[in-house]
Amino acid sequence: MRLNLGAKFTLTVLIILAGTMAANTLYFLDTSARFHEQQLVERGRALGRLISLVSPDAILGFDFLLLNDYTREVSSQQDVVYGVIVSPQGLPISSYINASDPLIKKRLEAASSTEIPKLLQNLGGHDKLIQMEFPITQNDVLLGRFLVGISRQSLQSEFRRQLIVQILVMVAIVLFLSAAIHAVFRFNVLFPIRKLIAASRDVGRGQYTLVEAKSADEMGLLTRAFNAMTEEVRQEQAKLHRQANFDTLTGLPNRMMALDRINMEISRARRSVQRFAVFFIDLDNFKSVNDSLGHAVGDELLVATGARVQAILRDSDTVARLGGDEFLVLAPDVANEVQVEEIADRLKKAISEPHDLNGRKVVAHCSIGIALYPDNGQSVETLMANADNAMYQAKGTAQGSAIFFTEEMNTRLHERMQMEQDLNLAIEAGQLALHFQPIFDSSGQHHRGAEVLLRWHHPERGAISPAVFIPLAEATGQIVGIGDWVLEQACRSWSAWHKGGISPGFLAINISRIQFRRRFSKRLAELMSIYGIPPGALELEITESVLLDDHHQVAEELSSLRAAGLTLSLDDFGTGYSSLSYLKRFRFDVLKIDRSFVAGLPNNPDDVLLVKAILAMAKGLDLRVVAEGVENHDQLSFLAAQGCDLVQGYLLARPMKEEDYLSRLKNLQAGVEPLRLSASRNQRTNSTS
Amino acid sequence: MIHVAFEGEPQMEIQSIRDWNRKWRRIAPLLWLIATAAAAPVIQAAEDPLIMGVFPRLNASETTKRYAPLAKLLGERLGRKVTLVTSKDFPSFWNGIDEQRYEIVLYNQYHYIRSAKNYQVIGHNKEFGKSTIAGVLYVRKDSGITDLTQLRGRTVLFGGGEDAMIGYIAPFYMLLQAGLKKEDFISQFAVNPLNSVIGVYRRQADAAGSGDMVVGQPAMAKAVNFDELTALAVSEQLLHLPWAVRRTMPAQLRESIRSILTDFENSAAGKEVLKAAVLTGIGRADDKDYEPHRRMVRAVLGPTLAPR
Repeated sequence: MRLNLGAKFTLTVLIILAGTMAANTLYFLDTSARFHEQQLVERGRALGRLISLVSPDAILGFDFLLLNDYTREVSSQQDVVYGVIVSPQGLPISSYINASDPLIKKRLEAASSTEIPKLLQNLGGHDKLIQMEFPITQNDVLLGRFLVGISRQSLQSEFRRQLIVQILVMVAIVLFLSAAIHAVFRFNVLFPIRKLIAASRDVGRGQYTLVEAKSADEMGLLTRAFNAMTEEVRQEQAKLHRQANFDTLTGLPNRMMALDRINMEISRARRSVQRFAVFFIDLDNFKSVNDSLGHAVGDELLVATGARVQAILRDSDTVARLGGDEFLVLAPDVANEVQVEEIADRLKKAISEPHDLNGRKVVAHCSIGIALYPDNGQSVETLMANADNAMYQAKGTAQGSAIFFTEEMNTRLHERMQMEQDLNLAIEAGQLALHFQPIFDSSGQHHRGAEVLLRWHHPERGAISPAVFIPLAEATGQIVGIGDWVLEQACRSWSAWHKGGISPGFLAINISRIQFRRRFSKRLAELMSIYGIPPGALELEITESVLLDDHHQVAEELSSLRAAGLTLSLDDFGTGYSSLSYLKRFRFDVLKIDRSFVAGLPNNPDDVLLVKAILAMAKGLDLRVVAEGVENHDQLSFLAAQGCDLVQGYLLARPMKEEDYLSRLKNLQAGVEPLRLSASRNQRTNSTS
Repeated sequence: MIHVAFEGEPQMEIQSIRDWNRKWRRIAPLLWLIATAAAAPVIQAAEDPLIMGVFPRLNASETTKRYAPLAKLLGERLGRKVTLVTSKDFPSFWNGIDEQRYEIVLYNQYHYIRSAKNYQVIGHNKEFGKSTIAGVLYVRKDSGITDLTQLRGRTVLFGGGEDAMIGYIAPFYMLLQAGLKKEDFISQFAVNPLNSVIGVYRRQADAAGSGDMVVGQPAMAKAVNFDELTALAVSEQLLHLPWAVRRTMPAQLRESIRSILTDFENSAAGKEVLKAAVLTGIGRADDKDYEPHRRMVRAVLGPTLAPR
């Protein structure tokens, strides 16, 4: 049974009161019983002393009638059951028995005068009887004894009566007090508590109701404390709400609130048959700002960008920071795409205005993806995804572009997703394979090694270019597994060739920046140990993008690789941002001149100057140089003349399957296959890095 | 301790326990005497009243209550005031007998025998319709005593002192007749014949000297179960308490008094006063009617008739 607080309290009070009253009643009754018993005893003593005083003359004068009068008078007193005067020998000489007393009634019926001693003996020790004996003397001579028996019957009856009365009084008092205490408790405690409970429920529903504190007692203090707590909760809730819905850096609504706003806008627009636009904004190369100027400046840039965007928007528009360098703008009630484009232009213009951050001029550009409701989606998720997709597409175009979402984007996206799924299965399905493009010295006569190239043969789509699936693998992180597979396959092949008595030279393997983040050097050392690969047999080709990451970690990885004796090659040199600074900061063994510079040789004066400069610089830094994309003899001759160390390209050899390359190696080693410059200028294929 | 005789008075009224105050019992008669003594010269001077004495077997107030109506009616019918005089105790009463202060007197048989020289019996009490009474020796049935001689060496509780006619003299006379002497048994004395019977009933003595009037007494019915007692010996019937007048009283007056007293039971007013005195009548008596009493007294107390 579930008792409420009032019932529990009242029950407790009732039990305590009842216990106390019962104890008090029992004590009172016990005291009363003792008092009355004492009174009976005193009465018996008084009677005994009286009889002892008046009886001697009657006894000496054998005045039995007078003695009978005495005993009769004594015994007629209330509660006296019998009064007997006995001789010193114990023979009764005067007696009076209260025959109506129930205690001895049946005993008396059978008793005669001579049986009085037996009767007294029979009554001896009876708990309802007080029996006393008093000597009757004169001049110290014992004349007889007076025996008196006083019944406790009336005492016990009175005790029972008082017990009943006391119990009734006690019950009445207990009930009255309990009711009174319950009423006071209900008014002073339960009512305020119920108000607090109701207020607590309101707080639970987000309604911060305060309770009026009427008294100054503990309940009043509790109410005030509750109100204070409610206020604290309200403030904390507001704070949490702000934290949950606003970006702490810029103070703009965050992703959650942006989604909520879009959701609300969808409802509103649906009712009013209106259109609205979602702008997905991403700052271009924001990472460079962070890396070069520090995160504090990056944060300042984000804050300033948010403020500018907000400044140029209508009050009804919403600008939110989704995270990182991504912003979202919700522009309700737009008439047409022209108006949307105008908004996008204003956004681009505002964002690309130079910022004065920490004393430095910083210019930021952005890419904007635009999705319209209801044209490009009727749910938050769809609109967000499409705007994001459009922004992604914008990223692939010129800086500061804004692109409307099109269904084609989704198609591409779906294709990309499908390819991602297929790529997951490619290794296990044996769809990936290594191809090898031999590398020669600049004379083109001596084989030095080969660049390892990855090929994916899709069962339905055929050969897929590395330029397509490698960026996808890097974007999805699949490059880690794929790169590891490439490494192991290359090591296994080299080991197998070497064990087969073939000298394969070195193998140049392209390493993705993603691989560098996953303890790459340790894994490579493990593979080299497993397959017995000497350090000089592997050359790791690293693009400048690797060097854009955390300098410290990259430096550590590179140091580890160099310590292991591996050759490090800076791939696609000249196409990056600050190649020279990387050369200064990191230690490489080889530079690979990108094919774009080789293609114009020897006729394009700019390419000539650049290649000469690269070669001169490499000499100065004691770096070997590999030129990619050598496709004709003029290029080869030029490179050889300028002191280029190694060359690769269709002129010398196309990328080939492992078995072909093995066969080529065997022939080269056997000297049966002379250099065959078979490539033509027009035969370009997709090689990868 | 004072032993008093209790003669031939079956209607013993037992004073309540509230009357136990002995002091009051002593002072009350004294106050009465003082009052009557103070009033005597006035009466004598006016009507020359007759003084009527009643032996103090009851207290003065009870005596007055019982006999004052009788004295008044006697005086009215006699044409001469009759004054009731009570005594505080037997010695003072006997002193009044010796000094012949009473013209009319009611006392026990022994008193008459002893005062017969100065007083002449004129009537006797009738109690419960009887004119006579007998002395009885009671024993408990379970005592095994069936013969007077078995009382030899035993305790006999007499109902009154040695001047008690029924409680002592008559029973003692029967013991003497049975061949026992005074020293052959232990004599003890209760205050009256009723208590002697109760004493035997309560096993305080082996035999009780009493009279046949105790049986049927209301007080005895509550105190004694007579089924447990038996009369060991019963004396001859003896005339009840005597009414006597001073021998010096004129014969006409003596006879008038006798006539009035014996005529009470024939009139409503007489019956009223008899009832108040707990009597059924007053019969005529002469000195010869008390010869049996005189014989017993002489046998028990000797020729002096005085207690030993």
